[in-house]
Amino acid sequence: MRNAYHLSAALLMLIASAAVSASDRDYDRTVAAQPHGVVDISNVAGRVEVRGWDRAEVSVHGELEEGVERVDVSSEGGRTIIKVVLPHNSGRHGEAQLKVQIPKGSELDVSAVSADVATSGVQGMQRLSAVSGDVSAELYGGDLELKTVSGDVHLKGHGQPAKLHVSTVSGDMHLEHGAGDLEAGTVSGTLVATLDTARSVRVRSTSGDLRFDGRLAHGASFDASTVSGDLNVRASADGGFAFEVSSFSGDITNCFGVKAERTSQYGPGSVLQGTRGEGAGHVRLKTMSGDVQLCDRT
Amino acid sequence: MTQDSERVSSLRELPRAIEPPRDLWPQIEANLNAIQAAAPPAPGAMIPLRRNGARLRWLAAAAMVACVAVGVWIGRSILPGSAPLTARQTPTQTNSVTGSGTLAGDRATAADVAYVSDPRYQRQRAALLRSLQAQLASMPPETRDKVTSSLAAIEKAKADLEQALGKDPGNALLQELLVNTYQDEMRVLTDVHESSNTGKGI
Repeated sequence: MRNAYHLSAALLMLIASAAVSASDRDYDRTVAAQPHGVVDISNVAGRVEVRGWDRAEVSVHGELEEGVERVDVSSEGGRTIIKVVLPHNSGRHGEAQLKVQIPKGSELDVSAVSADVATSGVQGMQRLSAVSGDVSAELYGGDLELKTVSGDVHLKGHGQPAKLHVSTVSGDMHLEHGAGDLEAGTVSGTLVATLDTARSVRVRSTSGDLRFDGRLAHGASFDASTVSGDLNVRASADGGFAFEVSSFSGDITNCFGVKAERTSQYGPGSVLQGTRGEGAGHVRLKTMSGDVQLCDRT
Repeated sequence: MTQDSERVSSLRELPRAIEPPRDLWPQIEANLNAIQAAAPPAPGAMIPLRRNGARLRWLAAAAMVACVAVGVWIGRSILPGSAPLTARQTPTQTNSVTGSGTLAGDRATAADVAYVSDPRYQRQRAALLRSLQAQLASMPPETRDKVTSSLAAIEKAKADLEQALGKDPGNALLQELLVNTYQDEMRVLTDVHESSNTGKGI
């Protein structure tokens, strides 16, 4: 009985020590940074959370799994580099959960593989890329370049104009309160966007559906095309807009009481043309087999 | 965007007919009369007509080829979304990716060949396709399935567009969407390639 007790205690100690060695390690470091410098962050797996703050320094807090070797942080010449380093040839991808605070005017560059990326309060330009990780970002006046393969994208704007360039392969994209210039592309992802004041919109997909609800600036240009995805656009514009909707075999509907015309007496194809208001802007929608609906913004 | 407003975005914006600066018929009639006058009478009367018919058929064929070339040129150069084709963007022969993610080999179609132009692009695309399987294999299964499915969606879109163009070769909308799809395929291949390099530097 006593031997059994000792054996159990030894086993418990072994399990506890194994758990400790596999548990997360904390990492904390703060370095001085320029208010409008550049911050580069790279992490393979886990999460990268970046927040803009008023201090001229970069603060990094990390929770590192066993498969992570270390975190390198360096700051020189206005550029701060934060790099999660994995053991060479380990074949294991430990996760690192990073919480990073950077000067809000910084230019931010985040590169991830399966790590999710989330930014908030960053007012400088943001370049965010991930493979399968989801990306969410808060937008101010800074431009955005965002790329994912299968990760979903969630963008929350504040109506401040910026150049937004977003592409996914299969990831869905949601944009709220976007403004300025939007250029977006996806193959099979769904793209849903609400635009406060857009100057230029160029979007296209292969099979993904595109849905827009927004206000266009005076003289704005809106071009959207899909092959088989559906297009649903609700738009209003200062100075109105001229519209041309073309589809080879999809249905075209609108809320303007205008009837789509066949482009050929015998073959498929239809086009809807007209003008709202003064016709200062241009809305061009094109699909092969996707259905199109164009309405005024309610 | 201002450039777009200057571009021709639809064939409907082009004039349906362009009148010649002068009446061409008198000279044509005079030439026809001269040919007929030079020809021998009755027994051989059909020969010039046959020659003229053959000549007209050749002219018609040449006109058709010219029309197709102009259509392709409009599709590639003028219509919006078909920016000047670069080494990264120029479409070329198709490789089909099956649902299971395996390459089914090159499968050039007439429409593909019409768009092939830049050998640098072809080399780059071939290299990307060669490394695609290795890159797919290195991805998490869920991501791999999504990418494979997206590439299959592109292949289907290309096939559907080419089939539709087969029935309506001069359709500018279909030509534009096909060019877009070629470009999108290249973007996906490039993105997948770049994504496989993302973790290497980390």
